[in-house]
Amino acid sequence: MLENDKFYVERCLDGHPDDYRYLVRRYQGVLLANLAGKLGSRDRAEEAAQEALVRAYFNIGKLKKPDSFFSWLLGIADNVAKEHQRKEQIQRQRDIVRSFSEESSGTELSQDYALEKAIAELPEAYRKVILLRYYSEHSCNQIADQLDMPLGTVTKTLSRAYAMLRESLQQQKHASSL
Amino acid sequence: MKCTEIKELLVAYVEGLLEESEKQAVAEHLKDCPACQAELKELTGLHDRLVTNGKALAQSNLEKDVMNQVIREQNTRLKAATRATDALKIRRTIMKSPVTKIAVAAAIIIIAVIIGINPFGNTVTWAQVIEPILNARTVIFDLILGADDTGIVSHEIVVGSRMRRNMSNMPNMTMIIDTDNEKLLALDTEAKTAAYADIAGELGERHRSFIKFVRQIITQLQEGQVEQLGERVIDGQKAVGFVGKGQNEAVTIWADPETALPIRIEAQIGQELSFSMKNFEFNADVDESLVSMEVPDGYTLEKTNMDLGNSTEEDFIESLRIWAEIIGDGTFPEAIGTESAMKEMPTLVQKVKAMEVSEEKGSQIGMSFAKGMLFHQTLESQGRWTYAGAGVKLGDASKAIFWYQPQGSTTYRVIYGDLSVKDVAPEDLPK
Repeated sequence: MLENDKFYVERCLDGHPDDYRYLVRRYQGVLLANLAGKLGSRDRAEEAAQEALVRAYFNIGKLKKPDSFFSWLLGIADNVAKEHQRKEQIQRQRDIVRSFSEESSGTELSQDYALEKAIAELPEAYRKVILLRYYSEHSCNQIADQLDMPLGTVTKTLSRAYAMLRESLQQQKHASSL
Repeated sequence: MKCTEIKELLVAYVEGLLEESEKQAVAEHLKDCPACQAELKELTGLHDRLVTNGKALAQSNLEKDVMNQVIREQNTRLKAATRATDALKIRRTIMKSPVTKIAVAAAIIIIAVIIGINPFGNTVTWAQVIEPILNARTVIFDLILGADDTGIVSHEIVVGSRMRRNMSNMPNMTMIIDTDNEKLLALDTEAKTAAYADIAGELGERHRSFIKFVRQIITQLQEGQVEQLGERVIDGQKAVGFVGKGQNEAVTIWADPETALPIRIEAQIGQELSFSMKNFEFNADVDESLVSMEVPDGYTLEKTNMDLGNSTEEDFIESLRIWAEIIGDGTFPEAIGTESAMKEMPTLVQKVKAMEVSEEKGSQIGMSFAKGMLFHQTLESQGRWTYAGAGVKLGDASKAIFWYQPQGSTTYRVIYGDLSVKDVAPEDLPK
């Protein structure tokens, strides 16, 4: 079993930057899932995830509670996503001005973009549980531990998240068939 | 159970989180309920989709790119790798420690380093303090701890008898020192807490002498009691150099040949202490509120008053004990001194945390360590000392670990591995 987040955060603070890789391994899937849904393409998600991870590393000294690395990292990723979205918007406006006849080239979407988009739209509490469970291979017990909530609450949150995802996926389907 | 109840449990069922009895009940119900079967199929479908997507994304390889970028950026950020990393380490560990009092203690060690210097002993009289520079109302400068420019930087604003100090290794800490009333106000700008420390006695005296220090150096320049080093370009400016040597110290001053104002001052004090000062600014307009001893609005005053007054040999012995027992796991360190102590601060903080003692006890340990180091600093400016404790086990009465000659004494004080002390004649000193 690998060590918990706190252990690696403290290793980084103690001057062992190399151990940051374990945190990268643990959360890259989470970040990509979270960001792909927001940014619309795998490439953009990778770029933003990388930026978020590097930014997190250099600000790790500001992390008050090493236990809450995950939530904190997710917050950073959300900020990076917002910045990228803003940049893209400006870029898109420029593109439109330049040539409104040209169809904006469809960037390569993730293999299950609909799902990622649905996840990105979940309220944070539900999003965290789904991300940890399926994109970082945490068991429900580990999630309970990490988010500091009873197992029953994790189960309920997960159930509710499923319902929301289904609804969101159905809406997307409906919208695209119009 | 009814369908609505079953549906509530289906996600847990898919996830294998149900207890045996519930699981059975759900399975039983599913057998004859097409509606719930359909629901289960939907949920399993979504579950599989999540798992598949999760696996696909987890396989991506950001690790190499992120780590390369981290290492590359870190290298550019930390040009002077070791020193800067140490400073960073100290800062991060200290700032994150719940034992904040140790941070203040650490801050005070540095303060004392910077001020615990009376560079020319009593050999210099400085009666002719007339020049305007000597009466400068305000002096601003940076003081860098260590022999080169990569050490901890202390930014100093001196206004009359008060000074404001910020150190690069503890960016959240601001210290305001009132030398007239021998008080120090430490502000944690992040936690918004304030604490007063008493610096009466010797420590206060050393603060005063620091303010005089800059002025004294100029006096020396004027009196020509120094050796001239000729002209050179220092920090991008033409400068003339002088070196003054005291009993235990050497001070090099690079000054503007036109105005005689110092550009850079480098000092080596005793065996272990060196620092430089630069970016001087005299008589700048400084807002008085910067050196106010009032607790600023929005800050909480911490109750504990810290007493860092006169430090004694006993304090020093206690700090040796802390060093061996807590930091060194029973063994005395390779070296002692201010820089070594600063480097060990993160370890001390962590060990104290691990001991799970009360905050009061924790801050007491930090304070004792700091106080002992203050005593050692007085030895730096007064005379010779020898440390021979590297690798000696705490409790080993057969090995002398430290000796020094108190001012005016004919014998030496020798401290042994069991922390006992004896007076020893010079000819009987350990070889």
